[in-house]
Amino acid sequence: MTDVVVERLGFAPLQLLDLWGDPGGVQQVLGHALPPVGRAEGGVLRTGPTSWLIEGEVSALKAAISGDGAIAAVGGGLLRVRLSGPNWRSLLMEGGLFDFESPAFTTDCVVITVIDHVSVTLRVEGPDSCLAYVPASHAADLLHFWQISAGGLPQ
Amino acid sequence: MIRFTFDGRALTAKPGQTLAAALLDHGIKLVGRSFKYHRPRGILSAGVEEPNALVTVGTGGRAEPNTRATDLYVYDGMVATSQNRWPSLSSDLGSALQLVAKALPAGFYYKTFFGPPKLWLFYEKFIRRAAGLGPAPVEADPDRYAQRAAFCDVLVVGAGPAGLIAARDAARAGKRVILVEQDAELAPSLLRDPQEIEGQPGSVWAASVAAELRAKGGRVLTRTSASGLWDDNFICLSEKLVEPGQVPQGAFTQRYWHVRADEVVLATGTLERPLTFANNDRPGVMLSQAVRTYVSRFGVVPGQRVVVATSNDDAYLTATALRQAGAEVVAVLDSRPSPAGQDSGFAVLNCAAPVSAAGGKRGVTGVTALIDGAERSFACDLIAMSGGFTPVVHLHMQAGGKLDWDDAAQAFVPGATRQNVRTVGSAAAPAPAETFGALGPAKQAFVDFQNDVTVADLDLAWREGYRSVEHLKRYTTLGMATDQGKTSNMAALDRIARREGMEVPQAGLTTFRPPYTPVSMGALVGLATGEHAQPTRRPALYDLHAAKHPIWLNAGYWKRPRAYPVGSETLAEAGLREARSVRQAVGLCDVSTLAKFEVQGPDAVQFLERVCQTTVGKLAVGRGRYTFMAREDGLVFDDGTVWRLEDNRYLLTSSTGGASRMATWLSYVRNYLCADLKVSVVCVQEHYAAIAVAGPQSSAVMAELTGAEAPRHMSVSETGIAGVPVLLMAASFSGERAFEVHFDARHAEAVWRAIEDKVLQAGGAPYGIEAMELLRIEKGHLVVGPDIDGRLTADELGLGKMVNKAGGWIGAATLHRPDFADSMRKQLVGIEAVNGGSIPEGAMLVRRVGEQAEGHVTASGLRIMEGGSIALAHLMGGHMRHGEELYAHSPTRKQTVKVRVGSPHFYDPSGERYRD
Repeated sequence: MTDVVVERLGFAPLQLLDLWGDPGGVQQVLGHALPPVGRAEGGVLRTGPTSWLIEGEVSALKAAISGDGAIAAVGGGLLRVRLSGPNWRSLLMEGGLFDFESPAFTTDCVVITVIDHVSVTLRVEGPDSCLAYVPASHAADLLHFWQISAGGLPQ
Repeated sequence: MIRFTFDGRALTAKPGQTLAAALLDHGIKLVGRSFKYHRPRGILSAGVEEPNALVTVGTGGRAEPNTRATDLYVYDGMVATSQNRWPSLSSDLGSALQLVAKALPAGFYYKTFFGPPKLWLFYEKFIRRAAGLGPAPVEADPDRYAQRAAFCDVLVVGAGPAGLIAARDAARAGKRVILVEQDAELAPSLLRDPQEIEGQPGSVWAASVAAELRAKGGRVLTRTSASGLWDDNFICLSEKLVEPGQVPQGAFTQRYWHVRADEVVLATGTLERPLTFANNDRPGVMLSQAVRTYVSRFGVVPGQRVVVATSNDDAYLTATALRQAGAEVVAVLDSRPSPAGQDSGFAVLNCAAPVSAAGGKRGVTGVTALIDGAERSFACDLIAMSGGFTPVVHLHMQAGGKLDWDDAAQAFVPGATRQNVRTVGSAAAPAPAETFGALGPAKQAFVDFQNDVTVADLDLAWREGYRSVEHLKRYTTLGMATDQGKTSNMAALDRIARREGMEVPQAGLTTFRPPYTPVSMGALVGLATGEHAQPTRRPALYDLHAAKHPIWLNAGYWKRPRAYPVGSETLAEAGLREARSVRQAVGLCDVSTLAKFEVQGPDAVQFLERVCQTTVGKLAVGRGRYTFMAREDGLVFDDGTVWRLEDNRYLLTSSTGGASRMATWLSYVRNYLCADLKVSVVCVQEHYAAIAVAGPQSSAVMAELTGAEAPRHMSVSETGIAGVPVLLMAASFSGERAFEVHFDARHAEAVWRAIEDKVLQAGGAPYGIEAMELLRIEKGHLVVGPDIDGRLTADELGLGKMVNKAGGWIGAATLHRPDFADSMRKQLVGIEAVNGGSIPEGAMLVRRVGEQAEGHVTASGLRIMEGGSIALAHLMGGHMRHGEELYAHSPTRKQTVKVRVGSPHFYDPSGERYRD
């Protein structure tokens, strides 16, 4: 009996945007500003001081950032996994280091942390689910870890 | 009733009873044998401090030795076994050691086992067999252990009244609270000494506080021991989800918590101290509060005729509880002068203390006391003793806290702290008590029960000059058993202080180290066992390879096919067949694990020319080159290839094994050394799968797959295979015309199958790491790790001609150090067996066996088509020693092979086979 569903969503076209300049026009292309550190908006997750993970089509964005940054495809190496159910935060505490149970870790918060020795990018989708981007080579191990752990979470 | 066995005897227990309580309930007082002298031992305490009643619980791989019967709740089907005895607990042959106890004082082994080392090998067998208590299980533990993080504002250790109130106050103030209690019940002291709190019975009150904590989002953990407190209020908790040896009902048997707390409140209480007198270790001599616990909490009366010996008021509560339970309190021996205890209603003898207990393995039968200087004996079957109370300050000290001396309590209490840790309750203010030292023959007066350290042992160590308490501890093993001296520490310090003629605080104090109570190895390991003992990285083609049943190689964390044996082929046979297939036709190999970095931006070339020792700027779009990288010290630490895909877009590859290090290095260079450059560096190791296609027919295979002429050596084209866009890079690690196909890993299987189909049609085969090694060694290509080990320069590796003479790369400046001009530094060479035989990998290169090594073999292989053992090696001054004959000598493998030094390129040195 478990209160967490671990759902393998598969791969998606993911790009990493890395900026060294300050391009105008990004907001126009995305429909919103690039999210700040620790946050996500739309299909864009802030993953570092100058980097964002973008899900979806980026050809217009490429043109907008020309000369101020670069985009590299990374989607072949990141498996998306959805953790849903009332105890998804509790599951992430197993083998983890980050305070997923903090009341401040709310919808559209983003963190890159280590879980069971694997570097994982996580985005809070809402009160009942979280999206994890897992390095593909580690995915089998981490999914196994989550399946085992989900069966014995503390009440 | 709960059914269990002890030494095979079927017994029953009441719900909630510990094993100790259940055994006492059945009148069983003999529970174990002592560590050194095999003295009969019973039950001293009712908690985690128990030094005597240690048992093995559980069976098979689930068995847990040295488990305290006082900290073990009986469950149905429990199998408990006594330890350190043969053939039985009551008739233990080892007890004969008591007859020669005089020959086995503290440190006897330091004085006894001198002599030739060979004799130690003889002694060792007997010592190893005699040492220890319960045997560790030899079968694998079938259970799982969880590890978990937690964060809180306030962590409270100890759920007695003080801890419960501290936790409730914090929760009411809106704090996130975790409350932990090592007992199975909250407020166990209120079960021993029932009282009303806030108008409710103690246990009811405790439950209501816990309910309030949970309702406010707090966490209450019972059967959880705070095992260690580290810097920044990082605290480890060991939670028992089931009892030791018990089959878990859920997924896990224990959980190990890593908690970070803003504040830690220690409500850890006190431990009662034993009195030191002759035969104070006999079954039936118990701590006073423990006796009261068995009577009041567990409904068990451990004796019917009881002598209470005390230095404080608390023991009178025990006398009262015993009387109420129907036992006879024969006398109360109070070490304090009259009128202490005179109004208690018991037969109190002041200025009185026990000198010696009488009795044997079945329990005490009496006690002789010293009363106002005169001895007097009492018949009894239980001695309840109390020498005062020692605050549990372990966590406070582990957090860097100081201790103050409380003269009234004759105990150390928590002093100043340097972390946000505070102590509340009796641990901060223990009850007053006095101490009066040891009485009776010192040889039989035990201080450390678990390690059999007597007063005589302490005195001997003192006479032999051990003044520092830390030295004395190690010499006598005092406090070094599994109980960590919880009941012995203060008695020992008191004895040392008296010998020195000083107060206890001046005698010093040993360090309290984690864990507070033993922690299962499984809890420390968590789920990292068996095939999950370390992370396993699987390439995108893992399942496809697995279907071919390859011999796997653990390359770092990666699982890589080492060879694909056909029929009954051995690894060597399969590897050689696959390598010959590459030499003669074509082969394909999964090289997805290579490190890959996409480098983009107008300053990409400047960045790469800092990182790479070769030129990069001259590369035309569509061209690539072999490159290598040095640290700031000028020594090469990795190699790979760099490809110019577009004007300002490059792909840099480097070794599999060094991938993480290279990612860290490039991040460091990008962000610290080249922060001003307009460049993006992204690790795409996992995004791109990669397949190497090598062999004289590889060009034809690629042309057929892509429908276009294959790119020439060190050129790259963007094309498609099986409808998947790919980068087709003409590069060779085998000595043959070869390609690396890089593409989005999501399409790995389709691309592999398409290539494999054509390779098989061309008479080729897949090849693994074993064949790759044979191929690259014969060609003289280097591998990061054995060949490029971070200790040689590019010149020394034979790569000097490729170095960017304009400099500018990291490490260029340090190459001018005089040491690097030494011509006898090690250099890369090839070596070949002169008279046959296989050159052992790792062997030393020597002029004669027994002489100083002048180098070593880094990688050993063979001539793939012709046979004959060849190898790569690092050799002092190697470049100037071609033609010289040496020996490759491996003492560990007992192999010595005569070798001739030469070029590392054994195959096609001019590189003709790279070209169509």
